[in-house]
Amino acid sequence: MTAHSGNGGDSTGIRVASVDDIPEGEGIAISSDITGTDDDIAILRKEDGTCWALNDTCTHETASLAEGWVEGDDVECPLHSSTFNLRTGKVDGLPATRDTVAHRVEVRDGEVYLFPGERP
Amino acid sequence: MVASSVASVVVVGGGIAGVSTVTELRKNGYAGGLTLLTADPFPYDRPPLSKAYLSGAKDLESIALQAPEWYAGQRIDVIRGLAAALDPAAGTVTLSDGRQLSADRIVLATGGWPLWPDIERVVRGLLDRPPAGSGIPRSTTGIHLLRSAEDADGLRAVLLPGARLLVVGAGLIGAEVTSTARKLGCEVVLVDPANPPIAAAVGAQVAEWLHSLHALHGAETVTATVEKVESTNAGVVAQIAGEASPRTFDAVLLAVGMVPDTAMAKEAGLDVDNGVVVDDHQVTSHPTVLAVGDCARRQGHRRAEHWEAAVHDGARAAATILGVDAPAASAPWFWTDRYDLHVEVVGEMHEPEGEHEQVVRGTLGEPPFTVFTLRGERVVGAVAVDDPKAVRAARRMIDRGVDVRAADLADPSTDLRQLLRSAR
Ligand SMILES: Cc1cc2nc3c(=O)[nH]c(=O)nc-3n(C[C@H](O)[C@H](O)[C@H](O)COP(=O)(O)OP(=O)(O)OC[C@H]3O[C@@H](n4cnc5c(N)ncnc54)[C@H](O)[C@@H]3O)c2cc1C
Ligand code: FES
Repeated sequence: MTAHSGNGGDSTGIRVASVDDIPEGEGIAISSDITGTDDDIAILRKEDGTCWALNDTCTHETASLAEGWVEGDDVECPLHSSTFNLRTGKVDGLPATRDTVAHRVEVRDGEVYLFPGERP
Repeated sequence: MVASSVASVVVVGGGIAGVSTVTELRKNGYAGGLTLLTADPFPYDRPPLSKAYLSGAKDLESIALQAPEWYAGQRIDVIRGLAAALDPAAGTVTLSDGRQLSADRIVLATGGWPLWPDIERVVRGLLDRPPAGSGIPRSTTGIHLLRSAEDADGLRAVLLPGARLLVVGAGLIGAEVTSTARKLGCEVVLVDPANPPIAAAVGAQVAEWLHSLHALHGAETVTATVEKVESTNAGVVAQIAGEASPRTFDAVLLAVGMVPDTAMAKEAGLDVDNGVVVDDHQVTSHPTVLAVGDCARRQGHRRAEHWEAAVHDGARAAATILGVDAPAASAPWFWTDRYDLHVEVVGEMHEPEGEHEQVVRGTLGEPPFTVFTLRGERVVGAVAVDDPKAVRAARRMIDRGVDVRAADLADPSTDLRQLLRSAR
């Protein structure tokens, strides 16, 4: 898989996973080598089956949000339970105080395409 | 925006309970005057004081509870100072420098102090309980307590490779400091009369395994009490019960628990009984004064001494001031870290007795694993080591009161989320 900058232009996005590879309520981390971003990106699947993407590293300490617990519109950090909104990256609840970055995701034919740097 | 009849609030104490109170007030639409009084340089988080801050991996700025500009943006007046007296009827707080603050509601969030152990001692120059932020070092004699960043700075300065450290008390903080000190190359002796320590919090099996990690990582553990601690020119000399002769250390950490900081509340005539006594809305015995966090105890409950409990108290106090319903309660949860393992505990870890049963998911001692406590078919508690999803599932099982089968929990191939879903 080649690295893309993902900023604008690329209408196809980066194919990062098959949607069936991500159980509902869970996530997977996509390495920055693949996304071309500074941070790894977590692809998180809601219980309704839709997929979302956030920078993978919790803004509090270094936990991977892909390891978090997805519920409703949020993912709960696996270390100290701050929650981040999947659509906006907004943090709700200490100890994290800084929002994270949300990226656009599209699912086509059962495949997850990520658009790093594009807002959902 | 919520229309509150309360025009001004002063919060005394800038720990997580105080900061949660002001955060929740603004988040939920409180538009009145809001002052946060803190004895510390600025409100910072305490859990890193025995972990990343103590090891030197984090500095004070990076453990700030909120960025400095956040308070201004939220129109919260942060005042550095020490409250010396409270007058509930007049609605005033008087600072040690004579300044006076008044408000319609005063929230006490004064936290607590390390408990002074019952050890015969000769401690030159060490005050039992110097006021927070008073600048009086508590660690001038090689004997340390750990509650503030100042305390952690003092301890960090002696945790040099090869330094001999005696840790008195193998509870959560004693164990974390032992782990951090070993990482820094210190020789550590950890003494506690309980064997294993913290069994009440995590259950005996997990407690035993956690305690065994100290020896595995090169710390010496002794099951005994420390009878005497004495500062001498050669170091700190400690007599451990049952040992023929005293041992000499470069430093001693006393980590035997904490006491709630209730002096000012008591002086002001508020009900105090192992904490400032509050009702289910965090209101003290005077209707204009609330109390939150480690300094408070809800009537009919045990006093919690954990980070998240302080957050919940702050949210409840904010709801009370706003006159709205408090957020839903959830099973108590805390975490602790040692030797790069992340331990989380939710609910109550009853020992198997009568109706209680313990179920291990995975293999005890081989992280990730989780031990659940069940009462009949209900989960009442869980302790997880490096198993965050299991503990989050357990919390929801407790909160929702779902019925589960022990065999399903024990089987690591069972999807816990599926169990929750099917129980809805
Ligand atoms: C070293 C350490 C490690 C910990 N690790 C964990 C952990 O891993 N997990 C966990 O769940 N919990 C942990 N805890 C517990 C957790 O930090 C406490 O439960 C929490 O800090 C309680 O918050 P609080 O705001 O009630 O009190 P505090 O944090 O004690 O804050 C009280 C504040 O009030 C100020 N104050 C006191 N009196 C006055 C006054 N008269 N005037 C002005 N200001 C005043 C103090 O300076 C302080 O800033 C740890 C605690 C310590 C000390
Ligand atoms: S690392 Fe995410 S909340 Fe602490």
